[in-house]
Amino acid sequence: MKYAEWPLSAPVNITWEITHRCNLKCVHCLSASSVASPGELDYDACRAVADELAALKVFEINFGGGEPLLCDYFLPLLRYIHGKGIVTCVSTNGTALTDEAVALFTGNPLVNVQVSLDGATPEVNDSIRGAGSFHRIVRGIERLAGRDIPLSINTVVTSVNFRQLDELKRLAKTYGANLRVSRFRPSGRARQSWERLRLSAAQLRELADWLGDDPSILTGDSFFAISADGRRQLGLDMCGACKMTACIDPVGDVYPCAFLQAGEFRGGSLRETTFKAIWDSSAVFKAFRGLAPAACRTCPRFEKCRGGCPAVAYFVSHDLNSADPECRLNWSRDASSAGSPHRAG
Amino acid sequence: MTCRLAEQVQVRKESWGLLFYNQPRHKVCFVRSGDWLYPRHFDGTWTLPAIAADIAGRTGTPAEIIERSLPKLTDHLTGKGVICHEVR
Repeated sequence: MKYAEWPLSAPVNITWEITHRCNLKCVHCLSASSVASPGELDYDACRAVADELAALKVFEINFGGGEPLLCDYFLPLLRYIHGKGIVTCVSTNGTALTDEAVALFTGNPLVNVQVSLDGATPEVNDSIRGAGSFHRIVRGIERLAGRDIPLSINTVVTSVNFRQLDELKRLAKTYGANLRVSRFRPSGRARQSWERLRLSAAQLRELADWLGDDPSILTGDSFFAISADGRRQLGLDMCGACKMTACIDPVGDVYPCAFLQAGEFRGGSLRETTFKAIWDSSAVFKAFRGLAPAACRTCPRFEKCRGGCPAVAYFVSHDLNSADPECRLNWSRDASSAGSPHRAG
Repeated sequence: MTCRLAEQVQVRKESWGLLFYNQPRHKVCFVRSGDWLYPRHFDGTWTLPAIAADIAGRTGTPAEIIERSLPKLTDHLTGKGVICHEVR
């Protein structure tokens, strides 16, 4: 049994999308954010959620959205959560930073900041995150750089920025930041841009090689499915949804992960029940813990990856029994049939 | 000599043992210690003999088994960097 399959009384970390309000309208936004949703949790309700997560000893909360810094009570909530000793990561587009936010982040051992940037040039980044966003984001990064703030630049790897990964790595280094790359997945607004922005089999192979050559590049979850074995050992090596992590959306609905925010995957609402009740008893969560896609069970790599990313599989095929179409075996096969000299490890 | 959680490490009890969280590395460490160890044992006040006596009292495990196994377990946790020993 893999460690990630050992039953946990609560998640190790939570992704908490605090608002759907956003000042950008990125074509790949996993939650299709733009305006706040009706019924988003207020400050008191969020504090109650934080109280429960602290009581359950959840170690980390990763805040996203939407743009969390556009939530009126975000900084007070962050202070409240830090008072409980919970480590936080703030995923921001970097354009809404205030002096107060920078001061709160600086020298704070409980904060990590991740700024999203999807290209090393305005042309590439702005084609994804919107006109003029590159310079605004870089100004934000400059406000954070050089301070005592653990900083990373996060890039969702797509067909349009794929050739800029080395430049992005250099750019991150310039600001004393790490580069973190995330898989592009067809959730939220990305369902419309999936075919245009997804990586080809050859690009997936190159990406896996590139990652294999540089262990300093941070990767988001679900890279285990596409990476070489040595790289996989650097992080979670199977889907952690409902096992080690879960997602809370702005209105208090709980999902297996941020990329599975669809009605059929809703585990419950924090307006109606506790997080613990959802974690322990939700039918959706129980089903996810036993998920073994039929298409993968006879695969020689199944014991290694357990079927890849269910979000990609589901939103591409509408079937959780399908394989992650970008898994290492799939892209290796596709690359081979295209005459590739490389083989999967 | 007492046991204490290492700096920037948190721990919680699970049904199978202890789950440690290393904050700077964002890594977790799974330790299958069953019902032997609890987070309180690493608050800096418990010596190994006191932990052993606590385990024996709660679980009924023979003392010789605990005395043989407990140091290996705590050495493992020390090696993982999640606890440290303190001389008081």
